[in-house]
Amino acid sequence: MYSNRILERFASPKFAGALRGCNGSGKAEDEKGGDVIKLYMLIDDNSIISNCKFKAFGGVSTIVACDIACQMLIGKTLEEGLSISNLDILEEMGEIPQDREYVALLVEEAIKNAIEDYYKRKEREAKKAIN
Amino acid sequence: MKKVYLDSAATTFVSSEVLAEMLPCFNTIYGNSNSIHSFGREADAIVDRARDRIANAINASKSNEIYFTSGGTEADNWAIKGIAHAYSNKGKHIITSAIEHHAVLDSCKQLEQEGFEVTYLPVDRHGLINIVELLHSIRKDTTLISIIAVNNEVGTIQNIKAIAKIAHDYGVIFHTDAVSAIGSVKLDVQDMEIDALTISGHKLYGPKGIGCLYLKNGIRIEPLIVGGSQEREKRGGTVNVPAVAGLGKAVEIAVRDLYINQQKLKSIRDYFIRSISEKIEFVQVNGHPQQKVNSIVNMSFEMVDNESLLMLLDMEGVAVSIASACTSGSNEQSHVLKAMGLENNAIHSSIRFSFGKNISKADIDYAVEAIAKSVERLRSISALTKAGRR
Repeated sequence: MYSNRILERFASPKFAGALRGCNGSGKAEDEKGGDVIKLYMLIDDNSIISNCKFKAFGGVSTIVACDIACQMLIGKTLEEGLSISNLDILEEMGEIPQDREYVALLVEEAIKNAIEDYYKRKEREAKKAIN
Repeated sequence: MKKVYLDSAATTFVSSEVLAEMLPCFNTIYGNSNSIHSFGREADAIVDRARDRIANAINASKSNEIYFTSGGTEADNWAIKGIAHAYSNKGKHIITSAIEHHAVLDSCKQLEQEGFEVTYLPVDRHGLINIVELLHSIRKDTTLISIIAVNNEVGTIQNIKAIAKIAHDYGVIFHTDAVSAIGSVKLDVQDMEIDALTISGHKLYGPKGIGCLYLKNGIRIEPLIVGGSQEREKRGGTVNVPAVAGLGKAVEIAVRDLYINQQKLKSIRDYFIRSISEKIEFVQVNGHPQQKVNSIVNMSFEMVDNESLLMLLDMEGVAVSIASACTSGSNEQSHVLKAMGLENNAIHSSIRFSFGKNISKADIDYAVEAIAKSVERLRSISALTKAGRR
Protein backbone atom coordinates (compact mmCIF):
# COMPACT_ATOMS: atom_id res chain seq x y z
CA MET A 1 0.00 0.00 0.00
CA TYR A 2 2.78 2.44 0.92
CA SER A 3 6.32 2.46 -0.49
CA ASN A 4 9.27 1.89 1.82
CA ARG A 5 10.36 5.46 1.19
CA ILE A 6 7.06 6.80 2.51
CA LEU A 7 7.12 4.46 5.48
CA GLU A 8 10.67 5.44 6.42
CA ARG A 9 9.71 9.10 6.38
CA PHE A 10 6.60 8.32 8.43
CA ALA A 11 8.68 6.45 11.00
CA SER A 12 11.15 9.33 11.39
CA PRO A 13 9.58 12.64 10.45
CA LYS A 14 12.11 15.46 10.61
CA PHE A 15 9.77 18.33 11.36
CA ALA A 16 7.12 16.94 13.71
CA GLY A 17 6.25 18.79 16.90
CA ALA A 18 5.68 22.30 18.18
CA LEU A 19 7.77 25.28 17.09
CA ARG A 20 8.67 27.66 19.86
CA GLY A 21 8.32 31.34 19.00
CA CYS A 22 6.55 30.73 15.70
CA ASN A 23 5.00 33.81 14.14
CA GLY A 24 2.65 32.16 11.67
CA SER A 25 0.45 29.12 12.12
CA GLY A 26 -2.16 27.57 9.88
CA LYS A 27 -4.69 24.81 10.34
CA ALA A 28 -6.61 22.68 7.87
CA GLU A 29 -8.98 19.82 8.39
CA ASP A 30 -10.84 17.29 6.34
CA GLU A 31 -14.08 16.13 7.82
CA LYS A 32 -14.45 12.97 5.77
CA GLY A 33 -10.91 11.75 6.24
CA GLY A 34 -10.88 13.03 9.83
CA ASP A 35 -7.46 14.67 9.37
CA VAL A 36 -6.45 17.79 11.27
CA ILE A 37 -3.12 19.44 10.52
CA LYS A 38 -1.37 22.45 11.97
CA LEU A 39 1.67 24.11 10.40
CA TYR A 40 3.91 26.39 12.42
CA MET A 41 6.31 28.82 10.72
CA LEU A 42 9.09 31.04 11.90
CA ILE A 43 9.46 33.86 9.41
CA ASP A 44 12.41 36.22 9.65
CA ASP A 45 12.55 39.95 8.94
CA ASN A 46 13.47 39.32 5.31
CA SER A 47 10.21 37.37 4.82
CA ILE A 48 12.12 34.10 4.62
CA ILE A 49 10.63 31.01 6.26
CA SER A 50 13.54 30.12 8.53
CA ASN A 51 11.89 27.18 10.28
CA CYS A 52 8.72 25.15 9.89
CA LYS A 53 7.13 22.35 11.91
CA PHE A 54 3.82 20.53 12.02
CA LYS A 55 1.40 18.65 14.20
CA ALA A 56 -1.09 16.26 12.68
CA PHE A 57 -3.97 13.95 13.47
CA GLY A 58 -3.95 11.80 10.38
CA GLY A 59 -2.61 8.75 8.65
CA VAL A 60 0.76 7.90 7.15
CA SER A 61 0.31 10.07 4.05
CA THR A 62 -0.85 13.05 6.12
CA ILE A 63 2.22 12.94 8.33
CA VAL A 64 4.57 12.47 5.38
CA ALA A 65 2.89 15.25 3.37
CA CYS A 66 3.30 17.65 6.30
CA ASP A 67 6.92 16.65 6.84
CA ILE A 68 7.80 17.06 3.17
CA ALA A 69 6.00 20.42 3.00
CA CYS A 70 8.02 21.69 5.97
CA GLN A 71 11.23 20.69 4.24
CA MET A 72 10.08 22.39 1.03
CA LEU A 73 9.13 25.57 2.88
CA ILE A 74 12.30 26.14 4.90
CA GLY A 75 14.50 28.75 3.22
CA LYS A 76 11.74 29.94 0.91
CA THR A 77 10.32 33.46 0.76
CA LEU A 78 6.66 33.89 1.64
CA GLU A 79 5.84 34.36 -2.01
CA GLU A 80 7.63 31.17 -2.93
CA GLY A 81 5.85 29.42 -0.04
CA LEU A 82 2.48 30.57 -1.33
CA SER A 83 3.27 29.21 -4.74
CA ILE A 84 3.72 25.64 -3.46
CA SER A 85 0.74 23.66 -4.69
CA ASN A 86 -0.70 20.29 -3.78
CA LEU A 87 0.76 18.95 -7.03
CA ASP A 88 4.28 19.99 -5.96
CA ILE A 89 3.77 18.19 -2.65
CA LEU A 90 2.45 15.07 -4.36
CA GLU A 91 5.41 15.08 -6.72
CA GLU A 92 7.84 15.24 -3.81
CA MET A 93 5.99 12.45 -2.01
CA GLY A 94 6.14 10.00 -4.89
CA GLU A 95 3.51 7.33 -5.22
CA ILE A 96 0.76 7.26 -2.58
CA PRO A 97 -2.67 5.61 -2.71
CA GLN A 98 -5.05 7.68 -4.82
CA ASP A 99 -7.62 7.94 -2.06
CA ARG A 100 -5.04 9.69 0.12
CA GLU A 101 -4.03 12.34 -2.39
CA TYR A 102 -6.44 14.81 -0.76
CA VAL A 103 -3.90 15.29 2.05
CA ALA A 104 -1.72 17.38 -0.26
CA LEU A 105 -4.64 19.76 -0.75
CA LEU A 106 -4.99 20.02 3.01
CA VAL A 107 -1.31 20.84 3.40
CA GLU A 108 -1.56 23.50 0.69
CA GLU A 109 -4.48 25.03 2.59
CA ALA A 110 -2.51 24.97 5.87
CA ILE A 111 0.47 26.69 4.19
CA LYS A 112 -1.78 29.47 2.90
CA ASN A 113 -3.46 29.81 6.30
CA ALA A 114 -0.10 29.99 8.09
CA ILE A 115 1.22 32.73 5.80
CA GLU A 116 -2.07 34.62 6.06
CA ASP A 117 -1.83 34.31 9.84
CA TYR A 118 1.68 35.79 9.70
CA TYR A 119 0.44 38.78 7.67
CA LYS A 120 -2.45 39.31 10.08
CA ARG A 121 -0.10 39.25 13.05
CA LYS A 122 2.15 41.77 11.31
CA GLU A 123 -0.84 43.99 10.63
CA ARG A 124 -1.95 43.82 14.26
CA GLU A 125 1.58 44.64 15.42
CA ALA A 126 1.73 47.60 13.02
CA LYS A 127 -1.63 48.89 14.27
CA LYS A 128 -0.44 48.53 17.86
CA ALA A 129 2.73 50.48 17.06
CA ILE A 130 0.70 53.30 15.49
CA ASN A 131 -1.62 53.46 18.48
CA MET B 1 12.08 -8.60 16.34
CA LYS B 2 9.24 -10.30 18.19
CA LYS B 3 6.03 -10.60 16.24
CA VAL B 4 2.58 -10.56 17.80
CA TYR B 5 -0.53 -11.22 15.76
CA LEU B 6 -3.58 -9.46 17.19
CA ASP B 7 -5.69 -9.73 14.05
CA SER B 8 -7.33 -13.14 14.33
CA ALA B 9 -10.69 -11.66 13.35
CA ALA B 10 -9.15 -10.95 9.93
CA THR B 11 -7.89 -14.48 9.54
CA THR B 12 -6.23 -17.23 11.57
CA PHE B 13 -3.45 -19.70 10.97
CA VAL B 14 -4.47 -23.23 9.95
CA SER B 15 -4.20 -25.49 12.99
CA SER B 16 -2.09 -28.62 12.71
CA GLU B 17 -5.09 -30.91 13.27
CA VAL B 18 -6.87 -29.21 10.34
CA LEU B 19 -3.79 -29.33 8.13
CA ALA B 20 -3.36 -33.04 8.83
CA GLU B 21 -6.93 -33.61 7.72
CA MET B 22 -6.38 -31.67 4.50
CA LEU B 23 -2.99 -32.95 3.32
CA PRO B 24 -4.02 -36.39 1.99
CA CYS B 25 -6.69 -34.70 -0.12
CA PHE B 26 -4.07 -32.97 -2.25
CA ASN B 27 -2.21 -35.98 -3.58
CA THR B 28 -3.68 -39.19 -2.22
CA ILE B 29 -7.44 -38.78 -2.24
CA TYR B 30 -7.53 -36.50 -5.24
CA GLY B 31 -10.59 -37.66 -7.13
CA ASN B 32 -13.40 -35.37 -8.16
CA SER B 33 -16.10 -35.91 -5.56
CA ASN B 34 -18.70 -35.89 -8.34
CA SER B 35 -17.09 -38.78 -10.26
CA ILE B 36 -18.79 -42.09 -9.80
CA HIS B 37 -15.62 -44.23 -9.87
CA SER B 38 -13.72 -45.26 -6.76
CA PHE B 39 -11.44 -42.19 -6.79
CA GLY B 40 -14.50 -39.97 -6.85
CA ARG B 41 -16.36 -41.99 -4.23
CA GLU B 42 -13.36 -41.79 -1.91
CA ALA B 43 -13.29 -38.00 -2.23
CA ASP B 44 -17.05 -37.85 -1.84
CA ALA B 45 -16.76 -39.76 1.44
CA ILE B 46 -14.41 -37.01 2.70
CA VAL B 47 -16.94 -34.36 1.70
CA ASP B 48 -19.78 -36.26 3.38
CA ARG B 49 -17.74 -36.60 6.54
CA ALA B 50 -17.10 -32.85 6.62
CA ARG B 51 -20.79 -32.20 6.05
CA ASP B 52 -21.66 -34.51 8.97
CA ARG B 53 -19.16 -32.78 11.22
CA ILE B 54 -20.56 -29.33 10.50
CA ALA B 55 -24.16 -30.49 10.81
CA ASN B 56 -23.34 -32.04 14.20
CA ALA B 57 -21.50 -28.95 15.38
CA ILE B 58 -24.47 -26.65 14.79
CA ASN B 59 -27.11 -29.31 15.51
CA ALA B 60 -28.61 -29.30 12.03
CA SER B 61 -31.22 -32.04 11.74
CA LYS B 62 -29.75 -33.37 8.46
CA SER B 63 -26.27 -33.23 6.93
CA ASN B 64 -27.78 -32.36 3.56
CA GLU B 65 -28.65 -28.96 4.99
CA ILE B 66 -24.97 -27.96 4.63
CA TYR B 67 -23.87 -26.49 1.27
CA PHE B 68 -20.21 -25.74 0.62
CA THR B 69 -19.25 -22.39 -0.88
CA SER B 70 -16.05 -20.49 -1.65
CA GLY B 71 -16.28 -18.67 1.68
CA GLY B 72 -18.42 -16.58 3.98
CA THR B 73 -18.87 -13.84 1.39
CA GLU B 74 -20.35 -16.22 -1.17
CA ALA B 75 -22.56 -17.86 1.45
CA ASP B 76 -23.89 -14.43 2.53
CA ASN B 77 -24.43 -13.34 -1.08
CA TRP B 78 -26.19 -16.57 -1.86
CA ALA B 79 -28.42 -16.54 1.23
CA ILE B 80 -29.57 -12.95 0.73
CA LYS B 81 -30.01 -12.95 -3.03
CA GLY B 82 -31.00 -16.60 -3.41
CA ILE B 83 -33.73 -16.51 -0.75
CA ALA B 84 -34.96 -13.04 -1.77
CA HIS B 85 -35.31 -14.18 -5.38
CA ALA B 86 -36.93 -17.51 -4.50
CA TYR B 87 -39.64 -15.76 -2.48
CA SER B 88 -40.03 -12.64 -4.60
CA ASN B 89 -43.58 -13.63 -5.60
CA LYS B 90 -44.51 -13.41 -1.91
CA GLY B 91 -42.86 -10.06 -1.28
CA LYS B 92 -39.84 -7.90 -1.94
CA HIS B 93 -38.98 -6.54 1.49
CA ILE B 94 -35.89 -7.53 3.48
CA ILE B 95 -34.77 -6.48 6.94
CA THR B 96 -31.15 -6.36 7.99
CA SER B 97 -29.01 -4.20 10.26
CA ALA B 98 -26.68 -1.27 9.67
CA ILE B 99 -23.74 -3.23 11.12
CA GLU B 100 -23.69 -6.24 8.84
CA HIS B 101 -20.62 -7.39 6.96
CA HIS B 102 -20.37 -5.82 3.51
CA ALA B 103 -21.18 -9.22 1.97
CA VAL B 104 -24.72 -8.80 3.33
CA LEU B 105 -24.97 -5.03 2.93
CA ASP B 106 -23.77 -5.01 -0.68
CA SER B 107 -26.05 -7.93 -1.57
CA CYS B 108 -28.96 -5.93 -0.17
CA LYS B 109 -27.85 -2.89 -2.17
CA GLN B 110 -27.88 -5.02 -5.33
CA LEU B 111 -31.39 -6.21 -4.55
CA GLU B 112 -32.48 -2.60 -4.06
CA GLN B 113 -31.29 -1.90 -7.61
CA GLU B 114 -33.59 -4.71 -8.73
CA GLY B 115 -36.60 -3.16 -7.02
CA PHE B 116 -36.47 -4.84 -3.61
CA GLU B 117 -36.92 -2.69 -0.50
CA VAL B 118 -34.51 -3.06 2.40
CA THR B 119 -34.83 -1.82 5.99
CA TYR B 120 -31.46 -1.28 7.68
CA LEU B 121 -32.15 -1.47 11.40
CA PRO B 122 -30.12 0.99 13.48
CA VAL B 123 -28.16 -0.16 16.53
CA ASP B 124 -27.61 1.39 19.94
CA ARG B 125 -24.29 2.67 21.28
CA HIS B 126 -23.30 -0.89 22.18
CA GLY B 127 -24.09 -2.31 18.75
CA LEU B 128 -27.37 -4.07 19.60
CA ILE B 129 -30.45 -3.87 17.42
CA ASN B 130 -33.69 -2.90 19.09
CA ILE B 131 -36.17 -5.80 19.10
CA VAL B 132 -39.18 -3.46 19.19
CA GLU B 133 -37.85 -1.63 16.17
CA LEU B 134 -37.47 -4.97 14.40
CA LEU B 135 -41.10 -5.79 15.17
CA HIS B 136 -42.24 -2.47 13.76
CA SER B 137 -40.23 -3.01 10.57
CA ILE B 138 -41.87 -6.31 9.63
CA ARG B 139 -44.39 -5.89 6.81
CA LYS B 140 -46.73 -8.19 4.95
CA ASP B 141 -44.26 -8.36 2.09
CA THR B 142 -41.19 -9.06 4.29
CA THR B 143 -39.63 -12.35 3.23
CA LEU B 144 -36.21 -12.33 4.89
CA ILE B 145 -34.50 -11.02 8.01
CA SER B 146 -30.72 -11.23 8.15
CA ILE B 147 -28.89 -10.19 11.32
CA ILE B 148 -25.22 -10.83 12.05
CA ALA B 149 -24.80 -13.11 15.10
CA VAL B 150 -21.54 -11.54 16.33
CA ASN B 151 -20.28 -8.31 14.85
CA ASN B 152 -16.79 -8.74 13.41
CA GLU B 153 -15.55 -5.26 14.37
CA VAL B 154 -16.73 -4.82 17.96
CA GLY B 155 -17.72 -8.36 19.00
CA THR B 156 -21.26 -7.51 20.15
CA ILE B 157 -23.50 -10.62 20.34
CA GLN B 158 -27.06 -10.13 19.07
CA ASN B 159 -30.07 -11.82 20.67
CA ILE B 160 -30.35 -14.24 17.76
CA LYS B 161 -32.84 -16.64 19.33
CA ALA B 162 -35.29 -13.83 20.10
CA ILE B 163 -34.86 -12.31 16.63
CA ALA B 164 -35.43 -15.66 14.89
CA LYS B 165 -38.51 -16.29 17.02
CA ILE B 166 -40.00 -12.96 15.98
CA ALA B 167 -39.21 -13.66 12.32
CA HIS B 168 -41.06 -16.98 12.52
CA ASP B 169 -44.02 -15.50 14.39
CA TYR B 170 -44.56 -13.43 11.26
CA GLY B 171 -43.69 -16.17 8.78
CA VAL B 172 -40.40 -14.56 7.76
CA ILE B 173 -37.23 -16.54 6.96
CA PHE B 174 -34.25 -15.84 9.22
CA HIS B 175 -30.59 -15.84 8.12
CA THR B 176 -27.58 -15.04 10.25
CA ASP B 177 -23.96 -14.41 9.32
CA ALA B 178 -22.25 -16.51 11.99
CA VAL B 179 -18.69 -16.14 10.66
CA SER B 180 -17.47 -14.44 13.85
CA ALA B 181 -19.79 -16.40 16.11
CA ILE B 182 -18.78 -19.99 15.49
CA GLY B 183 -16.28 -21.11 18.10
CA SER B 184 -17.09 -18.07 20.24
CA VAL B 185 -20.71 -18.71 21.14
CA LYS B 186 -22.79 -21.87 21.17
CA LEU B 187 -24.92 -22.21 18.04
CA ASP B 188 -27.81 -24.62 17.79
CA VAL B 189 -29.80 -24.00 14.63
CA GLN B 190 -32.78 -26.03 15.80
CA ASP B 191 -33.04 -24.54 19.26
CA MET B 192 -32.39 -21.03 17.94
CA GLU B 193 -34.80 -21.52 15.00
CA ILE B 194 -32.23 -20.42 12.42
CA ASP B 195 -33.24 -21.06 8.79
CA ALA B 196 -29.95 -20.12 7.13
CA LEU B 197 -26.49 -19.57 8.59
CA THR B 198 -23.15 -18.57 7.11
CA ILE B 199 -19.83 -20.12 8.17
CA SER B 200 -16.30 -19.34 6.95
CA GLY B 201 -13.22 -21.52 7.34
CA HIS B 202 -10.39 -19.08 7.81
CA LYS B 203 -11.68 -17.40 10.98
CA LEU B 204 -11.57 -20.66 12.90
CA TYR B 205 -8.14 -22.10 12.11
CA GLY B 206 -9.35 -23.59 8.85
CA PRO B 207 -8.27 -22.80 5.30
CA LYS B 208 -9.14 -19.67 3.32
CA GLY B 209 -11.47 -19.81 0.34
CA ILE B 210 -13.99 -22.18 1.89
CA GLY B 211 -17.24 -21.67 3.73
CA CYS B 212 -20.70 -23.08 3.85
CA LEU B 213 -24.32 -22.17 4.11
CA TYR B 214 -26.62 -24.06 6.40
CA LEU B 215 -30.05 -24.01 4.81
CA LYS B 216 -32.92 -25.69 6.60
CA ASN B 217 -34.66 -28.25 4.44
CA GLY B 218 -37.81 -26.80 2.98
CA ILE B 219 -36.44 -23.28 2.57
CA ARG B 220 -36.25 -22.39 -1.11
CA ILE B 221 -33.17 -20.74 -2.60
CA GLU B 222 -32.15 -19.83 -6.13
CA PRO B 223 -28.59 -20.79 -7.11
CA LEU B 224 -25.97 -18.07 -7.23
CA ILE B 225 -23.32 -20.12 -9.07
CA VAL B 226 -24.55 -22.30 -11.89
CA GLY B 227 -22.68 -24.69 -14.14
CA GLY B 228 -22.80 -28.08 -12.51
CA SER B 229 -24.93 -30.45 -10.48
CA GLN B 230 -22.76 -30.22 -7.38
CA GLU B 231 -24.22 -29.56 -3.93
CA ARG B 232 -27.53 -31.14 -4.88
CA GLU B 233 -27.77 -28.88 -7.93
CA LYS B 234 -27.75 -25.75 -5.82
CA ARG B 235 -24.11 -24.66 -6.21
CA GLY B 236 -22.16 -25.45 -9.34
CA GLY B 237 -18.38 -25.98 -9.38
CA THR B 238 -16.01 -28.81 -8.53
CA VAL B 239 -15.96 -29.24 -4.77
CA ASN B 240 -12.71 -28.09 -3.19
CA VAL B 241 -12.20 -31.33 -1.31
CA PRO B 242 -9.03 -30.42 0.70
CA ALA B 243 -10.63 -27.17 1.86
CA VAL B 244 -13.92 -28.88 2.65
CA ALA B 245 -12.07 -31.49 4.71
CA GLY B 246 -10.29 -28.67 6.53
CA LEU B 247 -13.49 -26.74 7.14
CA GLY B 248 -15.25 -29.79 8.54
CA LYS B 249 -12.41 -30.47 10.95
CA ALA B 250 -12.05 -26.78 11.90
CA VAL B 251 -15.74 -26.44 12.76
CA GLU B 252 -15.67 -29.68 14.73
CA ILE B 253 -12.65 -28.49 16.75
CA ALA B 254 -14.08 -24.99 17.25
CA VAL B 255 -17.17 -26.44 18.88
CA ARG B 256 -15.29 -29.20 20.73
CA ASP B 257 -12.84 -26.70 22.27
CA LEU B 258 -15.25 -23.79 22.65
CA TYR B 259 -15.31 -23.80 26.45
CA ILE B 260 -11.56 -24.14 27.01
CA ASN B 261 -10.70 -21.58 24.31
CA GLN B 262 -13.19 -19.08 25.64
CA GLN B 263 -11.88 -19.41 29.19
CA LYS B 264 -8.38 -18.64 27.96
CA LEU B 265 -9.45 -15.83 25.64
CA LYS B 266 -11.48 -14.19 28.39
CA SER B 267 -8.41 -14.08 30.66
CA ILE B 268 -6.31 -12.72 27.80
CA ARG B 269 -8.89 -10.10 26.83
CA ASP B 270 -9.40 -8.92 30.43
CA TYR B 271 -5.65 -8.81 31.01
CA PHE B 272 -5.16 -6.81 27.81
CA ILE B 273 -7.84 -4.23 28.70
CA ARG B 274 -6.48 -3.94 32.26
CA SER B 275 -2.90 -3.47 31.05
CA ILE B 276 -3.94 -0.86 28.48
CA SER B 277 -5.96 1.13 31.01
CA GLU B 278 -3.08 1.04 33.49
CA LYS B 279 -0.58 2.34 30.94
CA ILE B 280 -2.57 4.62 28.62
CA GLU B 281 -4.92 7.48 29.41
CA PHE B 282 -7.92 8.61 27.34
CA VAL B 283 -8.90 5.24 25.94
CA GLN B 284 -12.45 4.05 25.37
CA VAL B 285 -13.59 0.49 24.72
CA ASN B 286 -16.22 0.30 21.97
CA GLY B 287 -18.94 -2.33 21.90
CA HIS B 288 -21.14 -3.95 24.48
CA PRO B 289 -19.72 -4.06 28.02
CA GLN B 290 -20.93 -7.63 28.66
CA GLN B 291 -22.72 -9.11 25.65
CA LYS B 292 -19.58 -9.55 23.55
CA VAL B 293 -17.17 -12.25 22.45
CA ASN B 294 -13.86 -12.69 24.23
CA SER B 295 -11.70 -12.61 21.13
CA ILE B 296 -12.40 -9.05 19.92
CA VAL B 297 -11.63 -5.71 21.60
CA ASN B 298 -12.28 -2.44 19.81
CA MET B 299 -10.67 0.63 21.37
CA SER B 300 -10.38 4.32 20.56
CA PHE B 301 -7.19 6.12 21.56
CA GLU B 302 -8.03 9.81 21.75
CA MET B 303 -5.91 12.17 19.65
CA VAL B 304 -4.35 9.27 17.75
CA ASP B 305 -5.13 8.45 14.13
CA ASN B 306 -5.80 4.74 13.71
CA GLU B 307 -3.86 4.26 10.45
CA SER B 308 -0.76 5.87 11.92
CA LEU B 309 -1.06 3.74 15.05
CA LEU B 310 -1.53 0.58 12.97
CA MET B 311 1.61 1.34 10.94
CA LEU B 312 3.75 2.22 13.97
CA LEU B 313 2.64 -1.00 15.65
CA ASP B 314 3.44 -2.92 12.49
CA MET B 315 6.96 -1.52 12.68
CA GLU B 316 7.14 -2.98 16.21
CA GLY B 317 5.96 -6.36 14.93
CA VAL B 318 2.41 -6.04 16.27
CA ALA B 319 -0.40 -6.67 13.76
CA VAL B 320 -3.80 -5.06 14.43
CA SER B 321 -6.54 -3.69 12.22
CA ILE B 322 -8.72 -0.72 11.49
CA ALA B 323 -12.39 -1.58 11.06
CA SER B 324 -12.30 -4.93 9.27
CA ALA B 325 -9.68 -6.26 6.90
CA CYS B 326 -12.32 -6.25 4.18
CA THR B 327 -12.47 -2.44 4.20
CA SER B 328 -9.01 -1.46 5.42
CA GLY B 329 -7.56 -1.15 1.91
CA SER B 330 -9.76 1.86 1.38
CA ASN B 331 -10.06 5.21 3.08
CA GLU B 332 -13.48 4.23 4.30
CA GLN B 333 -13.93 4.32 8.06
CA SER B 334 -16.00 1.84 10.02
CA HIS B 335 -19.70 1.81 9.13
CA VAL B 336 -20.23 -0.18 12.30
CA LEU B 337 -18.84 2.43 14.69
CA LYS B 338 -20.68 5.12 12.74
CA ALA B 339 -23.96 3.22 13.16
CA MET B 340 -23.19 2.91 16.88
CA GLY B 341 -23.12 6.71 17.03
CA LEU B 342 -19.44 7.17 17.87
CA GLU B 343 -17.97 10.63 17.42
CA ASN B 344 -16.00 11.15 14.22
CA ASN B 345 -12.69 11.49 16.10
CA ALA B 346 -13.36 8.32 18.10
CA ILE B 347 -13.98 6.42 14.85
CA HIS B 348 -10.75 7.71 13.33
CA SER B 349 -8.93 6.65 16.54
CA SER B 350 -10.35 3.14 16.72
CA ILE B 351 -8.35 -0.05 16.47
CA ARG B 352 -9.58 -3.62 16.51
CA PHE B 353 -7.50 -6.10 18.49
CA SER B 354 -8.47 -9.73 18.06
CA PHE B 355 -6.90 -12.64 19.85
CA GLY B 356 -6.14 -16.12 18.60
CA LYS B 357 -6.01 -19.26 20.70
CA ASN B 358 -2.20 -19.39 20.65
CA ILE B 359 -1.69 -15.95 22.22
CA SER B 360 0.27 -15.72 25.48
CA LYS B 361 0.46 -13.19 28.31
CA ALA B 362 4.02 -12.41 27.19
CA ASP B 363 2.64 -11.51 23.75
CA ILE B 364 0.13 -9.18 25.40
CA ASP B 365 2.85 -7.57 27.53
CA TYR B 366 4.95 -6.94 24.43
CA ALA B 367 2.00 -5.56 22.47
CA VAL B 368 0.83 -3.29 25.28
CA GLU B 369 4.34 -1.81 25.61
CA ALA B 370 4.41 -1.16 21.85
CA ILE B 371 0.92 0.36 21.93
CA ALA B 372 1.79 2.64 24.86
CA LYS B 373 4.98 3.79 23.15
CA SER B 374 3.30 4.41 19.79
CA VAL B 375 0.29 6.18 21.30
CA GLU B 376 2.57 8.47 23.28
CA ARG B 377 4.59 9.26 20.18
CA LEU B 378 1.57 10.06 18.04
CA ARG B 379 -0.02 12.13 20.79
CA SER B 380 3.15 14.22 21.05
CA ILE B 381 2.67 15.31 17.43
CA SER B 382 -1.13 15.25 17.33
CA ALA B 383 -2.99 18.33 16.14
CA LEU B 384 -5.80 17.37 18.51
CA THR B 385 -5.73 18.13 22.20
CA LYS B 386 -7.24 16.14 25.04
CA ALA B 387 -10.86 14.98 24.73
CA GLY B 388 -10.74 15.57 21.00
CA ARG B 389 -10.78 19.36 21.15
CA ARG B 390 -9.54 20.88 17.92
